[in-house]
Amino acid sequence: MDIPSHHTGLTRRAALGTLAAGAVGAAVWPRTPRSRADIPSGRTVIDYWEKWTGPEGDAVQRVVDRFNAEQSRVWVRRTAVSEIDTKAMVAIGGGDPPDVVGVFSYNVPQYARSGAAMPLGSFGDASTRIDPGIYVPAVRKLLTYRGEFIAGITSLYSLALYYNRAMFKEVGLDPDAPPRTVPELDAAAERLLVRQGTAIARAGLLQNLPLWWPYFWPVMFGGVLYDPEKDRAVFDDAATIAAYEWVASYPKRLGVAASEEFGVAYNRSFHSPQDPFIAGRVAMIVQGPWLANFINHYGPHLDYGVAPIPVTPGIFDDASPHGMLEADVLMIPRGCRHPEEAFEFVRFTQRQDVQEQLAREHTKSSPLVECSKEFFVGHPNKCVGVFDAITRSKNVLILPQTPVWKSYAHLTEGAFDAVWRGEHVPAVCGAVQRRAQEMIDKAARVEGLRRARG
Amino acid sequence: MSANRTSRGSLATGLAWISPWAVGFVVFLLAPIAMSVYYSLTDYALLDSPVWIGGDNYAELAGDGLFWRALRNTLVFAFFSVIGSTLLSVGLAVLLERPTRGAAVARAAVFLPTLVPVVANCVAWLWLFNPQYGLINSALGAGGVQGPNWLGDSSWALMSLVLMSLWVIGSPMLVVGAALKDVPASLYEAASLDGMTAWGRFRHVTLPMISPALTFNVIMGIIWSLQVLAPPMIMTRGGPDNATLTFSMYIYKTAFEFGRMGYASALAWVQILITLVLACGALALGRRMVYYRAA
Repeated sequence: MDIPSHHTGLTRRAALGTLAAGAVGAAVWPRTPRSRADIPSGRTVIDYWEKWTGPEGDAVQRVVDRFNAEQSRVWVRRTAVSEIDTKAMVAIGGGDPPDVVGVFSYNVPQYARSGAAMPLGSFGDASTRIDPGIYVPAVRKLLTYRGEFIAGITSLYSLALYYNRAMFKEVGLDPDAPPRTVPELDAAAERLLVRQGTAIARAGLLQNLPLWWPYFWPVMFGGVLYDPEKDRAVFDDAATIAAYEWVASYPKRLGVAASEEFGVAYNRSFHSPQDPFIAGRVAMIVQGPWLANFINHYGPHLDYGVAPIPVTPGIFDDASPHGMLEADVLMIPRGCRHPEEAFEFVRFTQRQDVQEQLAREHTKSSPLVECSKEFFVGHPNKCVGVFDAITRSKNVLILPQTPVWKSYAHLTEGAFDAVWRGEHVPAVCGAVQRRAQEMIDKAARVEGLRRARG
Repeated sequence: MSANRTSRGSLATGLAWISPWAVGFVVFLLAPIAMSVYYSLTDYALLDSPVWIGGDNYAELAGDGLFWRALRNTLVFAFFSVIGSTLLSVGLAVLLERPTRGAAVARAAVFLPTLVPVVANCVAWLWLFNPQYGLINSALGAGGVQGPNWLGDSSWALMSLVLMSLWVIGSPMLVVGAALKDVPASLYEAASLDGMTAWGRFRHVTLPMISPALTFNVIMGIIWSLQVLAPPMIMTRGGPDNATLTFSMYIYKTAFEFGRMGYASALAWVQILITLVLACGALALGRRMVYYRAA
C-alpha cells in the first residue's frame, strides 16, 4: 500500500526558530558551574563530603571557610551528603571518590582492611605529619586499625543520662544526686513514672526511646560486645545477658503494649520541639552531647542535668565513669584526585584551636589530650564536663573494631525488639552470638584468601 | 539478488534504529546481570576487588536467620497483598462499571492514590497508623474499639503494610474494568434467559471472561509484592523485631549498609528464582483455568 506523502515536516520558520532558541540558550548558559563561581583562581579545588546539615553543617562550613581563608593554595568545597557511608562506598568502589570524606568511626576497620582509605601516617614529613599522640587514648584507638593511623576526627560522642531536674524535685528526688547505679536508676524511673490507666502518660526511663543504640546496654553491666584479641563476638556472656534481662524488666513492669505504643508515638519526634525529653514526656533519657544543642534551640528553659551512665554496683567507679565512644571521622579515599591537598585540609582540622571551635559548636567535648581552659568557659553544653570525663576515663569502651560491625549491630536491633516482647534472653543473645561470630569468621577467612592472593 | 540486498539493507536499518536500546540493554542490564552471578560467588565489599569463595554465600543462607525471616515476611506480604488487591479490584471494578451517577468520579478517586508518590503515601499512612493520634485508631475509639499499635506491634506491623498496599489498586481496577467492558452483553442475556441469578452470571460469565485480565493482575501483583521495598524502608525500617524486613530490603541493607555486595548478589538470585517459580506457577495455573476467547 502506498503511503500518501504529506509535507508535515519542519517548516523553515520553525527550523530557524529552533536554531535561534538554541543559540540564545547556549549564549546564556553559564560557562562556569555555580559551585565554582566564587573560587579564587589558581586554587586546587578539593571535594569534601560531610554528613551534617542545618546548624551542625553550618559549623563545619565555618571550619571550611576558615581553612579557605587561611591559605591560598587549596579550596575546599563541602557537599552535604545523606547516608554518607553508603554513598562514599559506592563512589570509592566506582573509582570516583571525593578527596575527603566524613564518615563514622565504625567505618574505619572496613576501609582500612580493604585499603579504601589512605593511611594518614603515609602523608607528610616529620614536620607536617599528624601525631596520633595528640588524641585521648580511646579516640586514638577509634582512629587507628591494627596500629595504622587511618582517620582524623571531626567530632566525638558518648552517651550519658539526661535527667529532668524539675521532675526530680517534683517527686522528691535530689536533683543534684542523679542515679549512679542501675538499682538507683530503676528506683528513680519508678518514682518518675506517671500512668494514665494502663497507658504511660510520662515515662521515667524507657530504653526504646530512642531506638538508636540497642547494642549499648551491656556497657552498663560490664559487657564489651567484642574481644579484639581473639576476634570474637561477645554477646552471650553473663554481663550481656544480665543487661538484656534488665532491659526486658521495663516492658514487663510497664506493659509491652503500653511501652511500645509510647515508643512509637515519640520515635519520630527526636531533635524537634516534640522531642520526648524536651517536651517533658520522659524524665530520663540516654542520649549524646548533641541533645544539649537541641535543648538550647527548642527548650532553652528546660531545667536538666547530665550524669554518666549508671552501672551495676559491682563495676561502679566514681573517678572513672563508664561509657562507649563513637566518632565522626575524616578519611582520604583511595583514588581521590588530590590526596596531598586533602591531607593538608585534614591536618588543619586536627589543630587544637579548630577542634575546639567545632566541638563547641557541636556542643561536644574535645577529642584531644591538650585542652585549653577557654574551651570550657561559656561552652554551649553546660554539661560538657560529664562528656569530657567519660572521654578521658580508663573505663570507656569504643565500638567494636570489626568490619562486620554494621551487620552485627543490625542483629542487636532484632534482639532488642525480641527481648522487649518477652522472648527468652539467653536464647536471643545466643542466636546473635552465633550469627555474629559466623560473619566475623567469614571475614577473617576472606582476609586470609586476599592475603594469599597478594 | 536485488531482493536479498534490499532485505539486508532493511535489516541494517532496523538494527541501526534499535541499536540505542540494544546497547543500553547490554550495558545496563545484561552485563550487570552476568556480573551479579559472578559477584554472588565472591566476597565483595565494593571497596576492594572481589575474592572468589565459590558457593560460600549460598551455603551461608541456610544459617542466616534474617534471610529466612525476610523470605517468610515477603511471602506472607505477597500472599495477602495479591489476594486482597485482586478481590478488591474486581469488586470495585464491578461496582464502578455500572452506569450510575458519580461512577466516573469514584473511579478517579480510587485511581488517585496510584498517582501519589510512594513517599507521600507512606508519610500519610504513618500518621493514619499512629496509635495515639492516628485517624484509624480515633475512628475505632469512637466505636468503642481499642485500636492496635499498627506499626509498633510485631504481630500487626506486616498486616498494616498489606492494608496500606490495598490503597494503591487503581491500575488493577482499570485493567479489570477494561476487561468487563469487553464481555459481550449477549452472554448475559442468554444467561438471564436460562434463569441464572446475578451471582450465577458473575461466576459463570463474568469471571471466565475476565480471567485473562485477572491472571495478568495476579502475575504483576506477585512480581511487585515480592520486590516491595519503599514502604517498609520508610515506615518501619524493617522493625519491630524484623517483622517487616522484606527480601528487597534485606538485599539493600546487605549490599549498601553492611557492605556485603557478594552476599547481597546471592540473595538477589534467590529472589529472582522465587519470583520466576511463582510467576511460572501462576501462568501454568492460568493455562488450566483461564478462558481465552477464540479470535
